[in-house]
Amino acid sequence: MDSSRPTSFTFRGRPESAEAGETLLQALLRKGLPTLQRSIRYHRPRAPFCGIGHCTNCLVRVNGEPNVRACRYTPRSGDAVTTSNAWPSPQYDVMGVLDFLFPRGLDTLHGFRRPAWATPWFQRVVRRLAGYGSIATTAPAPVPSSSAAIELDVLVIGAGPAGRQAAQRLATGGRPVGLLDRGAIPAPPPGVSLFPEVTAVFLPPPASVADRPFEMVALEEPDRGRLFRARTVVIASGAYDASLLFAGNDRPGVMTADGALAMATGDRAPPFRRALIVGGGLRTAQLLDRFGVHTEAVAAPGPISPEVTRRASDLSIDLYPRTLLLAASGRGRVRRAHLTARGGGPEFSVPIDAIVLAHRRVPHSQLLFQAGAEMEWRGTAGSFFPVLGEGCRTTVPGLYAVGEVAGFAEGVAAEASALAAADAVLGRAVPPATVRGPDGPNELEGYYRELLRFPVGLTKQVACPCEDVLLSEVREAVAQGYRGMEVVKRYTGVGTGLCQGRYCLPDLLLVLSIVEGRSPREVGYIRQRPPVIPTPLSALAELPESPPEIVAPGRS
Amino acid sequence: MIHEPRPPDRIVIVGAGIMGLFTAYHLARAGAGPVTVVDRGWLSNGASGRNGGGVRQQWETRALVRLARESVDSYRRFGRDFGYNIWFRQGGYLFLAESEAEQQHLAQVAATLRSEGLEAKLLQSEEVSQYAPGLETGGLRGGTYLKSDGTLYPFPALWALREAILRLGVDLRLGTEVTGIDVENGRVTGLATPAGRLPATVVVNAAGGWSSALAALAGLTVPNRATRHEILATEPLKPFLDPMVTRLRDGLYFSQTMRGEIVGGLSVAHPPGTRQGMPSSPAFLRAMARALVGILPSLRHLGVLRAWSGFYDDTPDGLPVIGEDPRLRGFVHASGFGGHGFMLAPAASRRVAQAVLREKSDLDPSQFSIARFLTPGAGQLVEGLQLG
Repeated sequence: MDSSRPTSFTFRGRPESAEAGETLLQALLRKGLPTLQRSIRYHRPRAPFCGIGHCTNCLVRVNGEPNVRACRYTPRSGDAVTTSNAWPSPQYDVMGVLDFLFPRGLDTLHGFRRPAWATPWFQRVVRRLAGYGSIATTAPAPVPSSSAAIELDVLVIGAGPAGRQAAQRLATGGRPVGLLDRGAIPAPPPGVSLFPEVTAVFLPPPASVADRPFEMVALEEPDRGRLFRARTVVIASGAYDASLLFAGNDRPGVMTADGALAMATGDRAPPFRRALIVGGGLRTAQLLDRFGVHTEAVAAPGPISPEVTRRASDLSIDLYPRTLLLAASGRGRVRRAHLTARGGGPEFSVPIDAIVLAHRRVPHSQLLFQAGAEMEWRGTAGSFFPVLGEGCRTTVPGLYAVGEVAGFAEGVAAEASALAAADAVLGRAVPPATVRGPDGPNELEGYYRELLRFPVGLTKQVACPCEDVLLSEVREAVAQGYRGMEVVKRYTGVGTGLCQGRYCLPDLLLVLSIVEGRSPREVGYIRQRPPVIPTPLSALAELPESPPEIVAPGRS
Repeated sequence: MIHEPRPPDRIVIVGAGIMGLFTAYHLARAGAGPVTVVDRGWLSNGASGRNGGGVRQQWETRALVRLARESVDSYRRFGRDFGYNIWFRQGGYLFLAESEAEQQHLAQVAATLRSEGLEAKLLQSEEVSQYAPGLETGGLRGGTYLKSDGTLYPFPALWALREAILRLGVDLRLGTEVTGIDVENGRVTGLATPAGRLPATVVVNAAGGWSSALAALAGLTVPNRATRHEILATEPLKPFLDPMVTRLRDGLYFSQTMRGEIVGGLSVAHPPGTRQGMPSSPAFLRAMARALVGILPSLRHLGVLRAWSGFYDDTPDGLPVIGEDPRLRGFVHASGFGGHGFMLAPAASRRVAQAVLREKSDLDPSQFSIARFLTPGAGQLVEGLQLG
């Protein structure tokens, strides 16, 4: 078969085609930004947001399998792609009326209790609203046989610049090393065993086994389970672009910088013509280099860096430093961003067709939390990072963290951290200090302090887009005396959706710290429960048997 | 002889799980004097916030059937009584037997239930899929089904009881660890906490997985043993499964929640303390995934969203411990529910409150008192349906 030929598939019954190597989402984007999904509670229209396989906005059904992410799926010839949770289509969904009927949300905690005779009926209706797709209609297949465990000396997780650098130095130092990444591994370092398209999903704390203390579960795309055993693990899982709270923050056209870049790889045009970019730092500069002509304005919670200012003035893009993004409006897709200067000033709006969030990078720190590494809050970055010793050692013996996930800025600092960790693993002398720079207050916390003083309008501020939890529900929970991230999560359901809290918890941590009047450390972070991404049952079923941990069979 | 009026008891309940909160509620409603609830964690930190939400009445032991039936009635009314919707959905419990012996076992249970007035159905293998379409029925011998069993959302029950007891004036102290129990002349006089001493004439042990550690602080040896159990939840799907499905062979249990997630586990105990905290294990994920894919092959590609674990508080005979300890006046047990505390709490906590108030109870003390373990040779398994 000629791999350069386009693939034909159907989308909602109509013929479509995808170029070789294109994701399903990229193929669909040729007709503009698609509304592929309706939200779980209020059936709000949703279009691709994160672009990196975490949010729920591009879930489709492929050949009868539910919950397939268009941004991660490469179409095959003859695929039948349909949408779910919307009728007649995600674009025009009858149930969208719920959003208008309940502008302040549906209270499932207190509502639907009376009259007694109606409760089974309430349950049937509410139950039918839940869930994204329906159960698979594909023919059942036998449980796969177990795969063999992959035994390694050193395992490096993440093949960004830092991970590649660490793997290369370890390989040149004569250590057998494996490098694993969720995507392809570009420019692979020589002498390194490569595991592309493999996502680390569960790294339990090390076992008391001297030669292979780490046993890690991974998912090989799309549904193969893999078990890695390694003596040393270097985490270089990087960071992602965070969400932001404002009214209408889940509207089609709002996307992260990751999302914009993923939707427009190569020489593809971005899915917008005049975007508002939020953020004034390195990430915004990168976006301007790529999408400058498609950018209307840049607004930042804090100051705007000289590099961004220089690029923007070359392209005559408007700059709004220290500005609150209050709301996005527009029927269906965003058409206007409503802004106001921090510290007071009139509200104004900017006509746009997308809002690209580039204001904050959040570390992919799930594996570090899972493994039991001690974490510390760093205000400047507004995230938890591992406590590091010499050579980027975490507090877990044999576990190292380098690059963005460890709090080192992309570039020179990240690569230096990778080399330091590799040298430490190789038993060489390493520079005594790890240079993460001084810590300071968090800009976004001050931003939210001001934003929370604005009255809540009728446009929903969605704190947790996966589960459609509103910011007002979170604030109500705190007002009722439910404090701390763990309890608020259970009270509101925030953070329990498919993105595993990636697009709600970083902001909620700041909001809770403000409304509870406690530090983010006291508010706490929810326990990072495995897996890191939703992992198919069939992949887990084919894992090799671990050294027996189940020792006491239950009575039955 | 003139009786001095007995001064009101100062009651401290240790454990703010469902059992402790419900007990506090009954006591405060009965006007039992000052009631304090202490817990070292946050609300929902223990097993009450970690269970699968199953509520069933299918037990071998008649007394448990009665407690369970009363609890089902209470949970049916819960929303109207307490203001929070716990979404108690009576989709039934389907027990599955794979061998003739298991089927005989279930036939006995069904007979007991019917004699208690519950409409339990004994199913042949071909009838099973009527109750759970899509289930792989090859290798099944049969099962039982009871429609009035069901599932609920554990969290809102905790919020509701917290607010109810606060309204009744109960002193709820979260984040407070009990570090000692003061005993004088064979009776309880108080508790030590890092925040100071709490005077108490009655201490209720509702500490769940930590119940034997708490009893030890009072110098009491109890046979309770904490076992760690794992559980997982999948991505949400549109509703396709009504009952909680439970298999006798390996204790596989799973249901589809109101939110559409499949939530379930296996009745295998993992050694506590082999891993820090209460995390999961690759071994469990593998075993559970194999079990689920085997019994419901259409779930093959469904994503596991999260996995966690919690502690059961097990007793040697599989029955809970309820009532005052004959060795120490004022020390009242509300423990040993073996992973089934939530489903029995409304009724069981009422008996605990009766024990505190020294009221007459309908429970047979020889069956539920700690005294049954204090004679040599005691502790044979009595209640065999420990799964799900």
